[in-house]
Amino acid sequence: MEKRRKLSDHIWTIILALLAVAYCYPVFMILINSFKKERAIGTGSIFKLPSKETFNGLAHYVSAIESQGFLKSLGFSLLITITSVAAILLFCSMCAWYITRVENKFTKALYYLFVFSMVVPFQMVMFTLSQTADKLGLNRPFNIWIIYLGFGAGLAVFMFAGFMKSIPLEIEEASMIDGCNPIQTFFLIVLPILKPTLVSVGVLEAMWVWNDYLLPTLVLDIRKYKTIPMLIQYFRGGYGKVAMGPMMASIMLTIIPIVIVYLAGQKHIIKGVAAGAVKG
Amino acid sequence: MADIRFEHVVKTYDNGVTVIPDLNLEIKDKEFVVLVGPSGCGKSTTLRMIAGLETISEGELYIGDHVVNDVAPKNRDIAMVFQSYALYPHMTVYKNMAFALELRKTPKAEIDQKVREAARILELEPYLDRKPKALSGGQRQRVALGRAMVRDPEVFLLDEPLSNLDAKLRTEMRSQISSLHKRLATTFVYVTHDQTEAMTMGDRICVMKAGIIQQFDTPQQLYNYPDNVFVAGFIGSPQMNFVEARVDANGSSYDLVFGNDRIRVDKPELARYIGKEVILGIRPEDLHAEEDFIRKAEDACFTAHVKLAEMMGSEIYLYFDILGSQKIARIPSRIPAGVDMDIRLAIDTDKVHVFDKDTEKAICH
Repeated sequence: MEKRRKLSDHIWTIILALLAVAYCYPVFMILINSFKKERAIGTGSIFKLPSKETFNGLAHYVSAIESQGFLKSLGFSLLITITSVAAILLFCSMCAWYITRVENKFTKALYYLFVFSMVVPFQMVMFTLSQTADKLGLNRPFNIWIIYLGFGAGLAVFMFAGFMKSIPLEIEEASMIDGCNPIQTFFLIVLPILKPTLVSVGVLEAMWVWNDYLLPTLVLDIRKYKTIPMLIQYFRGGYGKVAMGPMMASIMLTIIPIVIVYLAGQKHIIKGVAAGAVKG
Repeated sequence: MADIRFEHVVKTYDNGVTVIPDLNLEIKDKEFVVLVGPSGCGKSTTLRMIAGLETISEGELYIGDHVVNDVAPKNRDIAMVFQSYALYPHMTVYKNMAFALELRKTPKAEIDQKVREAARILELEPYLDRKPKALSGGQRQRVALGRAMVRDPEVFLLDEPLSNLDAKLRTEMRSQISSLHKRLATTFVYVTHDQTEAMTMGDRICVMKAGIIQQFDTPQQLYNYPDNVFVAGFIGSPQMNFVEARVDANGSSYDLVFGNDRIRVDKPELARYIGKEVILGIRPEDLHAEEDFIRKAEDACFTAHVKLAEMMGSEIYLYFDILGSQKIARIPSRIPAGVDMDIRLAIDTDKVHVFDKDTEKAICH
């Protein structure tokens, strides 16, 4: 029995290791090609490591940063991600608090509406959405967070509500007796207790908003505003040809911030996701 | 002044269930009152109404001279210790205790002095920088007490604060809370389902059942003169024995007859019950197996067949049946008694309680 379990463990380890390699390999390929000279990034040589002749140093990175408003797009992406995630965290945690603490038919319906919104595919609503966003003037990087709030709310409310159910009501009652009004109870007691869930929801939503291509492409005025994923799509060299080297370099540059965010918050993600599932 | 007064208070929940039908209760200033009763009897609801955590459906609740029905919890000058302690998990022990004072914008130096004083009394000084999760159950309990103490509240509310502790710690904390009451000299309202806690700590005990006060009196009075069968059965451990008996006249006194046994009692209140059934209540310690007691009480003796004997050290609990239901006697352990033995027991007839079978109210003690 013991032996059999060990064997199956080994098999699983091998399968998962292969999967991990499969997932990481494209990123690795982008990384190595971003250091190669443009002519070396061809169909025949794409899998090859950079050699003495093909190594290009950080030249692609420099040209990526210097060209085509990369920094401007970085700014837009940062602005959209920060405002959207902040709005999602603040409003959805408040909403989930209301849903879990005020139990009636309305809040129950509201909760299911949020959960339901998770299963509606974006493609189903995208055209009407882009029209509506245009009409309401939500097509600028400064207020597109309102749209992201709407799409991110489903998952966020679901996760917050799951965790909040595990916070004993008595803690909030104690704070009321200690002298808190509801707003103080929320910001001084509930929100700090929610920290692990805040981090995990924050990281998940940040990854989504940062990497999102479709929504900003449909909603934002492409001529004026490009986020990083949009910019990469439009990365072209001097003769209309796609400049592969700078494109790969800019992809690497784009990945860095979100990987840092993920690594910083990853231990909370497991905690946050599991928190609602098991009664504490 | 912090008297607490319930005047015809009714509590009905949104689903239409009434847990407190009509509560009238007066708790005096600086008194230690224990609300006790089985779960679901409304004792916690009563406490939460004092705290302002439950609304009052009808009637008036006074703290001091003010009606506080619509006063927010934070403005009632109360402190509460919860069953689960309800400490703020993200704050240190110091912060937990200082929190209420910080909200009230108390000067920093004063907060520090009060927190350190409370920590000293509760022996929490070495733990001030720890978070609650790094504390043991007893220490958390003391932090919860400390958090309430630093505020110098008019009323101290405690909701089953010891029920999560082990037996030894519970005994320790019991005396600590009692001495805290003496030191602070404020009104304490304490909820428990444990009659030992109630008996040892309360100046007065309010026994509740189904939202109705059964008796509100001192521990001694409750034990010696219970108003009804419920109070008699609830207060005292092991529980009082109840036997259904018929009242027969026997000259100037009365005989209580159960099965083939009869005991003579000298209680004139039984005159109205001749020929009727009553409930006879006997505390386990009022059953005697000592030779000289049996000799003196010839007309109050019966023979019991011991089913189970529990040795408690200084005494033995004997379990036996009367008319098919289990009874218990508490006799000194020097008396030889064991399982399957027939033992002669005498009832101390001066201490028996007799209850009306229909109303379950006390007839005489």
